[in-house]
Amino acid sequence: MARIEFRSVTKRYAGDVLAVDDLNLEIRDKEFVVLLGPSGCGKSTTLNMIAGLEDVTEGELWFDDQIVNALPPHRRDIAMVFQSYALYPHKSVYENIAFGLRMRKVAREEIDRRVRDAAAKLEISHLLERRPSQLSGGQRQRVALGRAMVRQPSVFLMDEPLSNLDAALRISMRAEIKHLHTAMQTTFIYVTHDQAEALTLADRIVVMKDGVIQQIGTPDDVYERPRNIFVASFLGNPAINYLEGFIEGDAAAPVFRRGALRIALPPPIAARMQRRPEGAVMLGLRPEDIASPAEARADAMLPGLVDTVLPVGSDRFLGLKVAGCDVYVRVAKEARHAEGDTIALALVAERLHLFDKATGMTLLGGATP
Amino acid sequence: MADAHTVPAPTVHHYRAKSPWRRIGRGLVLTLASALFLGYVLAPIAWLLSSSIQSEHEIVSKPPHWIPHDPTLQNFAAIFAAKDKTVTYETRKTADPSSGGFIPSTASNLLPAIGNSLIVACAVVVLNLLVGVPAAYAMAKIRFRGRQASIYAILATRVIPDIALVVPFFLFIRNLGLLDSLWSLIITYLAITVPFSVFILISYFESLPDELDKAARIDGCSRMQTLTHVYLPLALPSLVAAILFAFLSSWNEFLLALMFTQTPAAQTLPIVVASFTSDFTISFSFINAAGVIAIIPPVILALMFERYLVSGLTAGAVKG
Repeated sequence: MARIEFRSVTKRYAGDVLAVDDLNLEIRDKEFVVLLGPSGCGKSTTLNMIAGLEDVTEGELWFDDQIVNALPPHRRDIAMVFQSYALYPHKSVYENIAFGLRMRKVAREEIDRRVRDAAAKLEISHLLERRPSQLSGGQRQRVALGRAMVRQPSVFLMDEPLSNLDAALRISMRAEIKHLHTAMQTTFIYVTHDQAEALTLADRIVVMKDGVIQQIGTPDDVYERPRNIFVASFLGNPAINYLEGFIEGDAAAPVFRRGALRIALPPPIAARMQRRPEGAVMLGLRPEDIASPAEARADAMLPGLVDTVLPVGSDRFLGLKVAGCDVYVRVAKEARHAEGDTIALALVAERLHLFDKATGMTLLGGATP
Repeated sequence: MADAHTVPAPTVHHYRAKSPWRRIGRGLVLTLASALFLGYVLAPIAWLLSSSIQSEHEIVSKPPHWIPHDPTLQNFAAIFAAKDKTVTYETRKTADPSSGGFIPSTASNLLPAIGNSLIVACAVVVLNLLVGVPAAYAMAKIRFRGRQASIYAILATRVIPDIALVVPFFLFIRNLGLLDSLWSLIITYLAITVPFSVFILISYFESLPDELDKAARIDGCSRMQTLTHVYLPLALPSLVAAILFAFLSSWNEFLLALMFTQTPAAQTLPIVVASFTSDFTISFSFINAAGVIAIIPPVILALMFERYLVSGLTAGAVKG
């Protein structure tokens, strides 16, 4: 049982560097929360504060009904997996996994049982006598996971655990970590800058930037209903496209206009529009939100000049010049467009995003804070 | 006309291996230079060893005998016999039966001086580790206010030459009432060696990843346990370098020992050996045998730790 709560937590480093600013976050028991953001956004600092490796400058950090600001790491019932694995180079794999239990004076037979059990689950039983230097990156990663597993902690912390692995291994390890969470039934807090990892693993994603939470929500929330331009840009690959323009027409049937380009916003979007923006807006268009020609509606078309054609096997990406902007969209691989063609693509207008250009905040309701 | 159409043939550069003569020549020069350097370093030691088993008569012979014609262990026997004898001007010739030569009046101080040197050097090594290891770990791995300043302060003490410290040290030791005691040497040697040990160890600890520290603390280690369970086993090469440095510095130190010690109760080996040269007369055979005994402990230490030594001294010099 472990519920973690940050109440107005601020972390300042020497020299007045603000790493985390007034963080309020509640992590529920057995939840898988991913802290996502670019480097330097304060996500690792947040994780280290949970671990007790960094002091909280201001505010309160709660574990269940206890304030743990001053509690040392080894009394917090947490385990942590590091980006560099942080295996002890002079100890065998067995000793690496057993070390945390030895320090906690667990009985020898119990240590042996747990180490062999974890090794079997992670398929590293045959490596127990080796030294970390004799292992591959993936094997080291498993040892690091094993070291955390045997402790049976109530909170499992992971600091970019997969970023040192190659792409194929990373995807298979993602699945294993997901299984591990299901099997261990404990709170997982996972730090990454990889949006795909976050979307795959998380129950909830906490998007951070410059020490401030940008949005907290399920993967669906943050992807489909981003609260601001930063969140919308950070999630999705290739990144979301923006068209700057103005909103015209009446409240029931608003129209986005940029020069000669007019896109009617359908009723679901109009209903979610909380207010009529005064100034310029940014229309967000995800590359995949292109409808098949059969679903085309005359008032939601994207006319453009094909600038580049990038086949990626499963699909094709088109680089378009639309009303003076570069827009990347994904089309079916059967689509036959050539560079220099002038085309008009159908939009899935219900999935468009709308942001206030001045504040960067969404104009559509329904986004989680 | 034809000339105008002729394209000049492109000059082709063939890569050629250097001529074998150049290779051989290079090898020869290197070998010769190495041999010269080796001779320069080893000749005094070779002469020390060789002359320690020669009689006084043979040592002064011309040309010198690099290989003794008539080796003898009498010089060493004289050292061990010296403790029972009081040497005066009248009896000075009685202790070197191999040559009928001389023996210094302070000869009987030699064996106690070896004991003193060993005690001082070992105490300095142990205290160096006790003080230096935690200090270096803290400065390398714990972020605290004044960390940089304390590292610089420690380094700055190494800039001051020992001779400048003699007078303040002397007053300090005299006021503590420790003149002519081994403590005077242990305390002042620590002041000289600890900063350097800390410096060696800091650079090594800094080269070890911070995440090990975090992992150990999460695994349940206190700061001290992190140090003993994780960092110390990894820092062995730099520990060896610090041990050797502290031992050799104390073993060889002359200036402070000369100032602070007056009697055999506290005199160390360099002082006693030096005193042999300022006696009624000088016995080279005896001095050389004493010299051989003096280099034995450092040599044993160096042989024991040889495989760690180089990696420890260069560790942290380059980010790997």
